[in-house]
Amino acid sequence: MNSKESILSNIRKNSCADYEMPDIAVAAVRYDDSLQQFIDMTKAVGGNAHVVQVDEDINDLIRSYYPEAVNIVSNLPEVTIATGNPDVVAKPQDLDGTDVAVVRGEIGVAENGCVWIPQAVKEKAVYFIAEYLVILLSADKIVNNMHEAYDMLQFSDYGFGTFISGPSKTADIEQALVVGAQSACGVTVLILNHR
Amino acid sequence: MQIGLFVPCYVDAVFPEVGVATYKLLKYLGVNVDYPMKQTCCGQPMANAGFEQKAVPLAAHFEDIFQGYDYVVAPSASCAAFVKLNYPRLLEGKHACQTSDKMMDVCEFLHDVLKVEKLPGVFPHKVSIHNSCHGVRELHLSSPSELNIPRFSKIRDLLSLVEGVTVVEPERIDECCGFGGMFSIEEPEVSVQMGTEKLDSHIATGAEYITGPDSSCLMHLQGIARRQNKPIEFIHVVQILAAGL
Amino acid sequence: MSTKHTKAASAFLLNKSRAQFLNQSIWYVREKRDKVAMQLAEWEELRELSSSIKCHTVTHLDTYLEQFASQAETNGVIVHWAKDANEHNKIVYDILQQHGAKKLVKSKSMLTEECHLNNYLINKGIDVVETDLGERILQLMQVAPSHIVMPAIHLKRQQVGKLFEDKLGSEPGNSDPTYLTRVARLHLRNEFMTADAGLTGANFGVAATGDVVVCTNEGNADMSTSLPPLHIVSMGIEKVIPDYRSLAVFTRLLARSATGQPSTTYTSHFRKARPGCEMHIVLVDNGRSDILANPQHWETLKCLRCGACMNTCPVYRRSGGYSYTYFIPGPIGINLGMLRSPRAYSDNVSACSLCCSCDNVCPAKINLSEQIYSWRQGLDAIHKADPMKKIISSGLKYLYGHPTLYYMGLKYAPLINRLPRNILYNRLNAWGKGRELPTFARKSFSEMWKKGIVR
Repeated sequence: MNSKESILSNIRKNSCADYEMPDIAVAAVRYDDSLQQFIDMTKAVGGNAHVVQVDEDINDLIRSYYPEAVNIVSNLPEVTIATGNPDVVAKPQDLDGTDVAVVRGEIGVAENGCVWIPQAVKEKAVYFIAEYLVILLSADKIVNNMHEAYDMLQFSDYGFGTFISGPSKTADIEQALVVGAQSACGVTVLILNHR
Repeated sequence: MQIGLFVPCYVDAVFPEVGVATYKLLKYLGVNVDYPMKQTCCGQPMANAGFEQKAVPLAAHFEDIFQGYDYVVAPSASCAAFVKLNYPRLLEGKHACQTSDKMMDVCEFLHDVLKVEKLPGVFPHKVSIHNSCHGVRELHLSSPSELNIPRFSKIRDLLSLVEGVTVVEPERIDECCGFGGMFSIEEPEVSVQMGTEKLDSHIATGAEYITGPDSSCLMHLQGIARRQNKPIEFIHVVQILAAGL
Repeated sequence: MSTKHTKAASAFLLNKSRAQFLNQSIWYVREKRDKVAMQLAEWEELRELSSSIKCHTVTHLDTYLEQFASQAETNGVIVHWAKDANEHNKIVYDILQQHGAKKLVKSKSMLTEECHLNNYLINKGIDVVETDLGERILQLMQVAPSHIVMPAIHLKRQQVGKLFEDKLGSEPGNSDPTYLTRVARLHLRNEFMTADAGLTGANFGVAATGDVVVCTNEGNADMSTSLPPLHIVSMGIEKVIPDYRSLAVFTRLLARSATGQPSTTYTSHFRKARPGCEMHIVLVDNGRSDILANPQHWETLKCLRCGACMNTCPVYRRSGGYSYTYFIPGPIGINLGMLRSPRAYSDNVSACSLCCSCDNVCPAKINLSEQIYSWRQGLDAIHKADPMKKIISSGLKYLYGHPTLYYMGLKYAPLINRLPRNILYNRLNAWGKGRELPTFARKSFSEMWKKGIVR
């Protein structure tokens, strides 16, 4: 018997109880103004969120947030200030030194400031290796809570996706919160198409 | 309604005044109270130490003494919780078990069964409630701080019926004081450290008394207070409720 | 009368300021947890659901594991099964060998601690680099984690500053946490860039999709898996859950319970290897399937490893993670240690005042305190019960079993009050170590009753 069979047969032999799967119907939190809640939570977790006005240009905004940025990486057509495209790098290590990465988020979650980002670039390293991350999110994709988010969650063929809630952080030294541990030191969510 | 009064062993030996106050208060409230002789201990000390089989004969004896009453009432939340939660298992297949359903801590009994709304006493002092673990988390005398449920405190409700009393509670409102039965002598350093911090947080409220439904916790805290010469008094809740009787 | 935990705790408490620092730091996390838990009206409903989902999954583990493995394989992931720690370690090493991997970057995994993977690999010449900041600090110090979520919670910043000065060349005397974190970031960035393989644990394995879900705040699991061409997942078999609807419940509970955050910064779903790369999942049993047969303790398999039981435990907070003899401390660790080996880990069973606070914070509603109580009942049978506690318990049983003797005892007990201090407070009197003895009443309640004084 190989290990798989041996483990499975031991499980079958040993299971001493039988519980039904519960009905997962949670009367979960909803917000009167889920956009505002999302913005508040994003700020609470150390990020920044801005509702893009009709007369604002995202390229100008990114430039104004990160005036020192030299290497700006994106594969989104509307990001005209991009200096590099993560889809054309030979290896993910080439993305090291990225100052700002601009990516698209597909779902924003009001209860915790999470943004669902299904991989849409050749190298997912771009989501983590850049000093600063800018996420473009459509206002109509903001949901109340994680239940709603998982109900509508879509994957890409790349086979990776992540919820990101603010910048990388740690409190491993004396519980002192430090932003910018191993990944992005700052996250800005630009909320588009708000009517 | 016939009540069997259970005065746990250590209350009998060390805090008889708590038993007296319980009896007087129940009498005053018109309850028919009996104190059956030959009662000793519920068996919790040995059970928590890991010898619950040694508690079985005590549980059977307890059953024999108390099974005929409508309620068994004790001024000690932890002992009441032990009978309530553990007797059915301990006595299974060995002895009938009726006291588990009848057992109540006196505060619980006053609040839930008698639904006391008026008390005659005056107690013009500031008291800090010691929310004992088994009172809070096993008997639900108050809402445990960990749970997201509506806040309540039966102890506070009862104390508010006494004229003149000012009720406060310490920070870390229901953190363990470190008594824990034989835990107190098996892990004495941790136990005393927990107790010292608990004592200090009660003292920090400015209270003159620490009060609670468990004299066992109070005995532990009192032992520390005496050793460290800390100026605070100890009194069981029921003694305050029976003030003036 | 003292266990290894008692002795270690006693030694720990000698350094008052360190002890106070630990207690305060961890209580602060408990308070943060309370705050976010109270903000959600459905909190208790979520805990109940989480418990029910876990009860169901754990009691249908074979079905969900097969589904998970088959989904993962459909996604192109290579799935391995390891009966025990040795097999797990060997599988990981073989995978590394096949790829010629020399440097492995790791995100936090308690399972690999359980399997002693690091030493195994290091002895075979692999350069193993922990990438969670706390874990990296401990690895550089060559000590084990003292907490499962906040592994370096017991350290002061000055200790980290000195360590980094010695090992990473940071500025002498600078122990500012922000500065030290920056130093670690630069150091670890280089490790990520040059790693040949990345290893992560798994918070959840989703049976319906084959996703491995890993939650971190630092993004180190993502850095570990985005750069090297090989990703190995070490996953305990109890980590499998049915589907996304279940996952929604757990992701809402995990970070709130663990650190009081509404979510971890990163909740990453690994479904496939990167193009041209490989992803392996090692499903590890190592005693878990045996726990299923234990009617009193199988519910430990519901554990999410959030650490909330440690944060609330008044004994853990005052004795520190190293006072326990099992690598997972606190209430869940007491239980898991006993499940690993009652003979080897019975010293931790004393570390509980039965306050039951852990039961109330556990996001999977494991009956932790009841289980510890139940372990105590079994110690005598394996000759691990404390002899003094046994003598006292037998004595009390005899005394309380004979009311006449009990009444006699009550009558003479007040004499104890008058004994000289040096007799009362001898070294056998553990109560007297920090407490005065209670004063026996001149007349007990029962005596007053008999004499008609009460009525």
